[in-house]
Amino acid sequence: MIGFIKKDLAMIKSNFKLLGILMIIYTVMGFLGEMDISFILPFMSVMIMISTFSYDNYNKWDAYSISLPDGRRNSVRAKYVATILMTFAVSLITILLSFMISYVNTKTINYEEILASMFGTLFGTLLVLTVMYPIIYKLGVEKARIGIFLIVFGLIIIGGFLLPYLDLSFIIKSLDFLEDYLILILIIIAIIMVYLSYKISEKIFRKKEF
Amino acid sequence: MENILEIKDLCKTYDNFELKKVSFNLPKGMIMGFIGENGAGKTTTIKAILNIIQSYRGEIKIFGLDNRKDEKKIKEDIGVVLDDMFFPEILTPNDINSTLKGVYQNWDTKMFYDYLKEFSLLPNKQIKTFSKGMRKKLEIITALSHHPKLLILDEPTSGLDPVARAEVMEIFQNFIEKDDCSILLSSHITTDLEHMADYITFINHGEVILSKTTNELLEQYGIVKCGEEEFQKIDKKDYLKYRKSKYEYEVLVENKKDFKAKYDIAVIDKITLDDLMVLMIKGEE
Repeated sequence: MIGFIKKDLAMIKSNFKLLGILMIIYTVMGFLGEMDISFILPFMSVMIMISTFSYDNYNKWDAYSISLPDGRRNSVRAKYVATILMTFAVSLITILLSFMISYVNTKTINYEEILASMFGTLFGTLLVLTVMYPIIYKLGVEKARIGIFLIVFGLIIIGGFLLPYLDLSFIIKSLDFLEDYLILILIIIAIIMVYLSYKISEKIFRKKEF
Repeated sequence: MENILEIKDLCKTYDNFELKKVSFNLPKGMIMGFIGENGAGKTTTIKAILNIIQSYRGEIKIFGLDNRKDEKKIKEDIGVVLDDMFFPEILTPNDINSTLKGVYQNWDTKMFYDYLKEFSLLPNKQIKTFSKGMRKKLEIITALSHHPKLLILDEPTSGLDPVARAEVMEIFQNFIEKDDCSILLSSHITTDLEHMADYITFINHGEVILSKTTNELLEQYGIVKCGEEEFQKIDKKDYLKYRKSKYEYEVLVENKKDFKAKYDIAVIDKITLDDLMVLMIKGEE
């Protein structure tokens, strides 16, 4: 699988410059006390990884990869591992930058706030990955974009209609109750989400014909 | 003789196309030309061999192993060049090397870079900057650099100019001389195969219509050229197909010698694979 991961990471190396520029912008804005855009960086890393599907598709890499040893399984697995590696690496750098900004601005490092914020971002990023990847494997990257748009749009519309009628106080109470365990619960949910998403993508790809 | 590839009763049905009980064997150390017009079923057969398509019926054995049960093991020893399927073009030969080093147990980095040097392909240039001929050469040397025992090549020379085509064929020739390797080479450019292939398998409308040694085919088959009067005297069971042109009949016969012994017709030409394809596909029975 290592070879497949290297291939996916090699495909995004031209985007490292873009990420570097975003990190500089984030740092400068942080020093100036402007809006916190740290959430953009991990999200960008997933979006960059999603762009690799287009290149794969253009050169029919998926079909070619099946001709390689264990290609059908490793192709999907590597895409998930490469995305998670990339997202975690970018998040780690962002956390370090945030520590630096916090220290320069306040002479202290607000560990708790920075880590909580980055943890939320990471969870959201993994959510995008878990929803997007099976849809991309099923429909192809072009149709998947439309599919995602329709899902998000549909959820907003349904949510907009239902929200006034829902009593959400029990969720808020539950959150209070679970506060001590929230991070642990979210980590478990994230692991289960990614695992299920991978299994679904793998199943779709295993049955796919080219 | 040991077979490196055995295909038995391979069937695959699409809405508008069907592979009908495709069967043939490729003996060890031999080169088989897999010919047929576009859409005849060459690529579908190759995709089935490699499990790129899966819902097919029939049996495929490679190195004596089942191509589904022992897929991973088998693919360690297969090199492929597929029509229009390759690494994403934003990658470089360096990236291909680092990828396949982690994929094939026998990947030979030195061999890969030696080939790159030999064919003047720069290792750090993106594939998209290469010409079609250069790209094809890269695909081929990628397929060769893990010392495969079986090469499966789908239209490796299609779309190339004659010079690039000759260069590509030379790579195969040199490789075969060095390694004891078998090749299944699909092509509709039959002239490439006449001097190189030991066996020819001809597929038409999803059906194998012949699978023979090239010598047998080129020596035994022939084209009888005659006028209408002579043609009318030929028994239907003594020829395979015929074509009527403005001035003469071209009649495809399976055995020149037998035909000559039976009929007093002077002109029986040697056949080329092109003639064979055209007459088998376009000729009348």
